[in-house]
Amino acid sequence: MRRRASDIICVFRIHLARLRREAGPFLLASVVFPLVMYMFATAIGTTGAGAPQDAAQRVRFLAGSIVFSLSLTAVSWLGYLLLENRFTGRLKLFATLPLAPSSYVLGVLVFALAQATIGTTVLVMIARAFGVRTALSLPVGAMLLGAVLVLTVLCVCGIGVIIAARARSFSEGSLLTDALGAGLVFLAPIYCAPEALPRPLQILSRVMPTTYAARGVQTTLLGGNGVGADLLTLAVMATVTLAVGFRVMRWRED
Amino acid sequence: MRGLVKEYKDGTRANRGIDLDVRSGEVVAVLGPNGAGKTTFLRQLTTELRPTGGTITVFGIDVIREPQRAKRLMGITPQEAGTFETLTVREHLQLFARLKGLSRRAADAATVEVIDTLGLTEHADRSVGSLSGGLRRRILIGLALLGRPPLLILDEPTTGLDPASRRVVWGVLRQIVQQGTTLVLSTHYMEEAERLSDRIAIIDSGRVIAFGTVRELLSRLRESYRLSYHDPATGNGDLRVQRYASFADVQAQIQELRLSEYSIARASLEDVYFEIAGQPFPDDEAVEVLQ
Repeated sequence: MRRRASDIICVFRIHLARLRREAGPFLLASVVFPLVMYMFATAIGTTGAGAPQDAAQRVRFLAGSIVFSLSLTAVSWLGYLLLENRFTGRLKLFATLPLAPSSYVLGVLVFALAQATIGTTVLVMIARAFGVRTALSLPVGAMLLGAVLVLTVLCVCGIGVIIAARARSFSEGSLLTDALGAGLVFLAPIYCAPEALPRPLQILSRVMPTTYAARGVQTTLLGGNGVGADLLTLAVMATVTLAVGFRVMRWRED
Repeated sequence: MRGLVKEYKDGTRANRGIDLDVRSGEVVAVLGPNGAGKTTFLRQLTTELRPTGGTITVFGIDVIREPQRAKRLMGITPQEAGTFETLTVREHLQLFARLKGLSRRAADAATVEVIDTLGLTEHADRSVGSLSGGLRRRILIGLALLGRPPLLILDEPTTGLDPASRRVVWGVLRQIVQQGTTLVLSTHYMEEAERLSDRIAIIDSGRVIAFGTVRELLSRLRESYRLSYHDPATGNGDLRVQRYASFADVQAQIQELRLSEYSIARASLEDVYFEIAGQPFPDDEAVEVLQ
């Protein structure tokens, strides 16, 4: 058990070094772009008369931007790192070690959670400066928000791991992670009410983890605790994607 | 290894029944042209590739059934491995030493030892990404050396290195072997195989076509002298290489052809390969120097 924990921390530290070096692009993806999306959503969400939006709508936009940040960092950026590990031979280095593939995946997940923590915290702090007032209840609401974020990250990371393990080429994999990073956001009602989406997208959004993530984040930020159904759905989705992710991540080829 | 076979899904047979015994403390070079099946063979040995058939045992451990346990005894440098460029050399070695199961203190000691052994002291706190390809290759070898595993498996360890770096690596490997480490390396450099190894396995088309010491392999040649000359009979002076059983036969030929420029060499592993495989060894670094 201690050995496994040590392995996971080492894998985490190896990837953290990358984050240290590429802090600029990371902040761009995890904070700046989602912040720009928040401002964009606020602008187009303003009524013609220029009436100020209600607090709930602003919190919806903040929740959407938090999910957008998670999607960009946990699918697009992390997926890219994993693809790079595989196609530049770095994964081979791990494969030479007496390291369980699951420890590698867990190290990557811890790294993704660290990214999510940084991105979400900075976004919430900046949103406060923009005048967004949340009503997160302590400690229950905060714990529920944490659970929603963790399950969302695990779910989308699982998708990233599957793509990175199965892509036939680097370009195919990076195209998929980029498309999914954006697609998971725009195919789900994260900046708008579900009924505002066209009917086909409404149906599609039911299988998008971002739908439940955005609703869960929004509910908790507004002071509600009724996120049981969202947590359950995210937990099921995370279990499925991680189960597949752990299964496809193998050192030994047939 | 016994009866090692690897057949891919598309029907390609990369290894066709390899039998090989490596003694403890011995250096065995696996030699063969590109595409001969060397890397497939080593990937099976290092547990990266599941064999279609056959058995591999390392210090009594079944490599196919217990890959993780077997890897604890191995230091491996894959042919096309990449380094983590954002880490410093020291961090890279320390983290991988920990991943090999060394305690924090042992990992630090192993890191210092490898940095010193591979002449990386002045680069230890630089990021790996800022180093030359040769230095990165040394780091990859260093990762295999961490914790002094009893078996080192190096897939073309000096490919892409300049001659000076290659010699540094050879020196390090000799030093490691003197401490009792068993070394299996693949190479397509004849010189590397001759200089480093106790025994050489020549692989061609997925089979071991010869295995023995350099002396044993050379003794298989019927003609152990090689005469190279530009043929005066052809207008272009085409290069001819002929093999003879004795030095006297070579001299007789020189006199008969009235050659003024020629080179005489003792047979080499290249000739052994030619004799056994029936075709020249495709070594792009081979250089003929005529007297």
